[in-house]
Amino acid sequence: MVLFHANAHIFQNDFNSVTSVVFNKYPNPYANHVLSVDTIDRKVDENGNLLTTRLIRKKGKLPKWIEYIVGSRITESWMIEFTMVDPKKKIMKSFNRNIDHVRLLQVEEYTTYQYDEIPKHTVVNSKVKFTSGFHVGIRSKIEKMSLSRFESGVEKSRLGMALVMKRVEEQRKRTSLQDII
Amino acid sequence: MGNSMSASFAPECTELKKTYDSCFNEWYSEKFLKGKSVENECTKEWYAYIGCVNENLKKKSIQSALDDARKEAPFESGGELVNANANANANKK
Repeated sequence: MVLFHANAHIFQNDFNSVTSVVFNKYPNPYANHVLSVDTIDRKVDENGNLLTTRLIRKKGKLPKWIEYIVGSRITESWMIEFTMVDPKKKIMKSFNRNIDHVRLLQVEEYTTYQYDEIPKHTVVNSKVKFTSGFHVGIRSKIEKMSLSRFESGVEKSRLGMALVMKRVEEQRKRTSLQDII
Repeated sequence: MGNSMSASFAPECTELKKTYDSCFNEWYSEKFLKGKSVENECTKEWYAYIGCVNENLKKKSIQSALDDARKEAPFESGGELVNANANANANKK
């Protein structure tokens, strides 16, 4: 079995602010589990889109029963994140997944951020896939545990983004003031 | 944005990362998104930072898994997610 989670959210902010938040989301007090974020590739492609690859390290404690099955303690996990920003269409796409412990659990998240000119807001759509490579029974337990943990984290993640949004918009205001002066 | 930036996995790269990130943030928000520049202007900061990252990645056991994952490049031309709009639209509630 494979489990999916989907959610949508609207930010009453423009594309510039929302996508700047994606790049500067960490650290924030709602995401203390994120230990480090590194950009490992970045370029503007032949279509004028900005492509970025980042390496993210998170800490996380797994339930005891999983540690028992795996036979070792897992205290952290590495993730790769690919993003693409199309500045003309005002769309950002991101794809991320963990790159270690993949047999135990693979979490793949695909998100789009699309700016809408008329209501002047940014629509976020996200789809997450949970796959465990363990044998039946345990596999489904692991996937369910992971899905429910993820869902309880969604609200926190939005609160974190909202907080960083304030910071980003204040920074933008300061920068545009400097331009005028 | 001062102390509000995230750390690098390698502590000795964190300062270089912050310098690069502030340069990038300004370029992204004030130039790239406004169509004023498609050239990344932070090359000096970038090479200093990425040199540090690559040097430290060599010491990490994650490097080979990372090298494999990077090849996926889902948004490069021909990448599997380049035209994957349908995927997200199907999820609109």
